[in-house]
Amino acid sequence: MPDSALAGLRVIDLSQGIAGPYCARLLGDLGAEVIKVEPPEGDYTRSLGPFPGDRPDPDQSGLFIHLNGSKQSVTLDIETDTGREALRRLLATADVLIESETPGRLAELGLGYNAVAKDRPGLVYCSVTPFGQTGPYAKYKGNSLACMALSGLMYVTGDPDKEPLCTGGEPADYFGGLHAWVSVLAALEHRGETGVGQHVDVSCLEALGCADEYNTTMYAWLGAVRRRFYSRHHIPTYPSEIFPCRDGHIVVIGGATGFPLMMAILLEDPELENNPLFQNLWLRTIQWQEFEKILRPYLAEHDWRDLLERAQELRIPFAAVMSPATLLADEHLRERGFFGEVDQPGAGKLPIAGNIFRMTETPLAFGPAPALGADTANVTEAAK
Amino acid sequence: MSNGLPLSGIRVLDLTQVYAGPTCTRILADLGADVIKIEGLKRMDITRNFVMPENISEDDYWNKAGYFQLRNGGKRSLTLDFSEESGGDGIEIVTKLAAQADIVAESFTPHVMAKLGIDYESLTMIKPDIIMISMSGYGQTGPWRDYSAYGMGLEPASGLSSITGYRGGDPLRTGISFTDPYSGVVGAGAVLAALVYRRRTGKGQYIDLSEQETAVPLVGQALMDYAMNGREPERIGNRSHWYAPQGCYPCAGDDNWLVITVRDDGEWTCFCEATGHEGWATDKRFADNQSRRANHDALDELIAGWTREQDQYEAMHRLQAAGVLAAAVLNPKQVLFDSHLKARGFFDRVETEQGPRPVPHQVGAKFSAFEMPSARRAPRLGEHNHEILKGLGLSDDEIRDLEERKVIGDEPQSAVPLPVMRMFVQWPLTSYQQMGALGAIEEDHREQLGIE
Repeated sequence: MPDSALAGLRVIDLSQGIAGPYCARLLGDLGAEVIKVEPPEGDYTRSLGPFPGDRPDPDQSGLFIHLNGSKQSVTLDIETDTGREALRRLLATADVLIESETPGRLAELGLGYNAVAKDRPGLVYCSVTPFGQTGPYAKYKGNSLACMALSGLMYVTGDPDKEPLCTGGEPADYFGGLHAWVSVLAALEHRGETGVGQHVDVSCLEALGCADEYNTTMYAWLGAVRRRFYSRHHIPTYPSEIFPCRDGHIVVIGGATGFPLMMAILLEDPELENNPLFQNLWLRTIQWQEFEKILRPYLAEHDWRDLLERAQELRIPFAAVMSPATLLADEHLRERGFFGEVDQPGAGKLPIAGNIFRMTETPLAFGPAPALGADTANVTEAAK
Repeated sequence: MSNGLPLSGIRVLDLTQVYAGPTCTRILADLGADVIKIEGLKRMDITRNFVMPENISEDDYWNKAGYFQLRNGGKRSLTLDFSEESGGDGIEIVTKLAAQADIVAESFTPHVMAKLGIDYESLTMIKPDIIMISMSGYGQTGPWRDYSAYGMGLEPASGLSSITGYRGGDPLRTGISFTDPYSGVVGAGAVLAALVYRRRTGKGQYIDLSEQETAVPLVGQALMDYAMNGREPERIGNRSHWYAPQGCYPCAGDDNWLVITVRDDGEWTCFCEATGHEGWATDKRFADNQSRRANHDALDELIAGWTREQDQYEAMHRLQAAGVLAAAVLNPKQVLFDSHLKARGFFDRVETEQGPRPVPHQVGAKFSAFEMPSARRAPRLGEHNHEILKGLGLSDDEIRDLEERKVIGDEPQSAVPLPVMRMFVQWPLTSYQQMGALGAIEEDHREQLGIE
């Protein structure tokens, strides 16, 4: 059996939602033992679905299963003395705590970093919240949409004549989860050198803000305020845009060497090589409507896979617009073994996304998500 | 010598370029690693061409680009031609540096490293416990591995664009190359996990990261729905799969917006009270989440009627004070001035070649046990050539010889003549403004930012 990177590490996942649980799942995928501590009614993602056959069941919520594979589930009511005492006993055995309560809430319950670290100085205590532990918005309510709004990324996403658009898939939560994961690993390395743990304060807003390509930089360096402009965020590379084609959509990217000749060949009209819109990038960028009068009719008559394969043969970096159905059927991802598969009691075999990187010595591993409170008796008994 | 940072004493050989790889290695640098960024004079990092101060591209413009600063602060720069044409000197130096490194990061098309003789297998011969990460568009295996990949294509290829878009509209991309920074953070985490493993076992390893794959988990909920129920997702604009109302609403002024999410009946009552529309709370059409979902269009019109009269920031604070989730949609300039981000110190004031500029952090966390040295300037092209090569034991004469043969240097040797490049890196900002891709262009931005 292959080794795992984080074998021997114990994580208490007190968080709910997406960011904290995804961080804890990534630690679990790497081999850490993850104990999810839930309130008696369970993590709220247990109620969000999707559910098999649309029949609500807290143990078969698709989002919950996606975010909580391989964990054990313990239910504790930390509003009560006995619940808090049981959590303290668990923390006395733990290396990492992930929590996502409103800042200050756990301190009020006597479970803040300082109180917990007294008994367990090596603990890495990671708080993941929308806006972080300090600052004027610390206790504001937040979600991925609010973080997209405040980060500036939403303002630059979407069509110029419409309202700003939020990226799908709750991106601030996943970015927050990733930054929490990176920070916990960094804190573990720090502990490896020094023996001491610490409090890590992760802000989903800032995790998303780190991703900004150069929008605030355009103001700081140029005084220019970017606006949303279709899928053309990097203006000087037009077209780098999603277009409809006969059976779906295709990403048309000219790349460094696509224009004028290769694109003319792809569109099966060699004359286009001499068209000024093919020869001059700035002309094409500014007179884009004219260029699209040439491009769109051709795409409308061809399928995305045909366009993709012929473009790539010509070394033009076109890309596919994948969806759940095409991702799950995709030959490339299958050959790479991207999706894991778990047998989820009651729901059957489900795909898990997945192997987001491959490590030669310590491969990631996936498991089903726990039923609510399935491990309460075992785990709390062992911690007594 | 320890500097108190988790990666102090760790050396990274950074052969990555542009956005994803440099994000990964910038995080490692902020955590204390010594990162040596290697660029070829014929192949410098292209982000050295983007975002010139005041849009002026005189002199050594490649040391002044805003884009390059963002993801290369705190690294050391070595220019080195290690292509096959350059003879063996460049590759010999890379090999010597690898022997002293803990981590090698690269973002070439698969097989380039093997062709150069510095793939993982070869590197383990000279440094058995090396950790190497390859970050490519589609990974090292599979039928698409050799596909030419640009960042702009990978967000759609991950599936994320299929769930991003206006209701009934085409898929859309985020206003950044989303999978690049996302993959960069994933890469940093993978390297850290490998370091934890090496600490325990003494073993290094190889990491194959595909930028297409990293962001697929964001589609996780839709993948589950497809697997469980055979349903493909619909694009729902700014609405929620779960809660109603949720949306992006117009505010007073030009292009000002507010996002609002109401998650339960309690928040709905608070919302109605805070907006002075108590009548909505008793309107049967909006009695519970299910009915609010069913009457979302009508609700949106009512809410927009209220928001249109409001200042976006004042409305956000008023709703939050009443316990309602709301946030102003900030434009990039407003982000630089936001009071919360300011209080959190999210922007560093970096002393660049052209004076101080605000630069956003690359790690969204604060650590109680150490402080990241994030406010550092990005290196000039070849700034550390002498220091690094002397560290390898090369003599002044040997270094001069490499300079004369243009194996190292501090000026790019582009195939495109320099005057043409200078023109290219200045952007036609007024044309972009006329197109609608830029709003304001403010000449007094430095004064406003207090960085004159």
